[in-house]
Amino acid sequence: MKDSCTLKSLAVLLENNKISSKELTSEYLKNIENGKELNCYNTISQEKALIDAEKSDERRKSQNLRSKYDGIPIGIKDLFCTKGVTTTASSKILSNFVPNYESTVTQNCDDAGLISLGKLNCDEFAMGSTNKTSFFGSVKNPWKSVNSDNELVPGGSSGGSAAAVSSDLCVASLGTDTGGSIRQPASFTGTVGLKPSYGRVSRWGIVAFASSLDQAGPITKNVEDAAILLDIISGHDEKDSTSSVNPKENYYENLNSDIRGMKIGIPKEFRSDKLPASTQKSWDECANLLKTNGAEIVDISLPHTMSALPAYYIIAPAEASSNLARYDGVRYGLRIKGNDLIDMYEKTRSEGFGDEVKRRILIGTYVLSSGYYDAYYIKAQKIRSLIKSDYVEAFKKVDAILTPSTPSTAFEIANEPSDPVQNYLNDIFTVPVNLAGLPGISIPFANDENNLPIGLQLITNSFEEQKLLNVARNIEETINYSETPEKWWLK
Amino acid sequence: MEFDKKSLLKLGKLARISISDDKLNNLSKDLNSILEFVDQLKEIKTDQVDPTSNSLNQKLEVRDDKVDTKNSAEDILENAPEKEMDFFVVPKVIE
Repeated sequence: MKDSCTLKSLAVLLENNKISSKELTSEYLKNIENGKELNCYNTISQEKALIDAEKSDERRKSQNLRSKYDGIPIGIKDLFCTKGVTTTASSKILSNFVPNYESTVTQNCDDAGLISLGKLNCDEFAMGSTNKTSFFGSVKNPWKSVNSDNELVPGGSSGGSAAAVSSDLCVASLGTDTGGSIRQPASFTGTVGLKPSYGRVSRWGIVAFASSLDQAGPITKNVEDAAILLDIISGHDEKDSTSSVNPKENYYENLNSDIRGMKIGIPKEFRSDKLPASTQKSWDECANLLKTNGAEIVDISLPHTMSALPAYYIIAPAEASSNLARYDGVRYGLRIKGNDLIDMYEKTRSEGFGDEVKRRILIGTYVLSSGYYDAYYIKAQKIRSLIKSDYVEAFKKVDAILTPSTPSTAFEIANEPSDPVQNYLNDIFTVPVNLAGLPGISIPFANDENNLPIGLQLITNSFEEQKLLNVARNIEETINYSETPEKWWLK
Repeated sequence: MEFDKKSLLKLGKLARISISDDKLNNLSKDLNSILEFVDQLKEIKTDQVDPTSNSLNQKLEVRDDKVDTKNSAEDILENAPEKEMDFFVVPKVIE
């Protein structure tokens, strides 16, 4: 099995009987075993995966396939509830939680015959951008700087999902993105990460963080695979009242990299002296490339860009404080005994949540509390309207927007800033997209002077995933990025 | 300083998270830093702006009123830390 495997190429191997699902699944389980040092998986579903693979092989024999991709194993962020498989959200408070229901997204994967290899590590309750807030410890980025042997963060919160794809511990994975949690780790690991429009993918059965911002999406080796996996997971779901009734498209079938005549916007507010020269260079080169390929490059303005991050750090914690109120030691999860009911709640939550989760619950509680609600929460929601209207105006002039995905490439695990606000800045380019409910994709463009991947972000209007994927595919076809990390963990 | 020891302990009560004395200093530093960061929004004029709570412009659909047999008591209690018959058990509330 080669490293260059994709959903598309594995489907062909399976179709031509070059490999069975059981052999393929065993290969990936072996890779996972050999890559344990990366700490990508919270739970490895060894036994279940092999049984499911055998069933897929039987379906193939009897020509009763669920889809073209039946029998391909993938990894699932430990935020999707999976029936009979521990689902922790990388938190101590859910470390013993075994759901008796299946999230819609993972059910859709099962309906297509995809096999789950296990549950991928992430920041606790998806709150973080380094994967360091996980109760089960940091994920290590498969990439290392050429100038140092120190371990790097994979980004977050879907750090395990991105690192696993990058290191071939799965061919594709599912992540979730509330403020950049798919796109930022994809950017740090040289993978493709797609956050769909709010409402495109069902949130049912996903551990909730900030319900008005959360979206699930694929992390893959390339844009074609992102389209394939989006086809599988997206669509209306009556169990999620915010799931869109807009019909979904056949993203993979309709993938068309012809961008002639399209207008691509470059927002001036994303420019910064602090941006590394290599990232700025990639951004410029990509704009030139799109121009060469027939698009028109247009300077645009998104005036409220800099207000997005502070607005996000009011709205997301407010929704989190409400969503996480359910973890009280009564119905599921951890319970710490107390002298009375209140004491039990307080001890359970104090011991069950990590520091970052507590900070966000406390801030969220504060901005929703009497006397501060209008000044903070309503204010932030008004800012959200301004951000959204920036994009509405922009998309009257352009088809897509091109920006860097992150303000830096991956940094050392040991160098994470101690000030939480410094950490929040990792998501400065991705957060506005969630607030506006738009689809965004991060694709690897080049490597920097330390040989670390640089990701660029494309954004389109709501429910224009097809256009988003088409422009991304155009870039991918032209640059043919094929860098892979050296597998130091095998030595 | 918006968050001092007293206000932090009150916030912990509201959020049902007990905060130990040794965590108070760092926590107040962190929360003040976050508050200072989000306070920059105060400079933006929003008098004429309506708030957006959800970016999806879609009417909420009413579900058909149908009986289903999902969510049995047994399923719901499956992960309970402590249960008795069809009930969750909690510390005594009324003396």
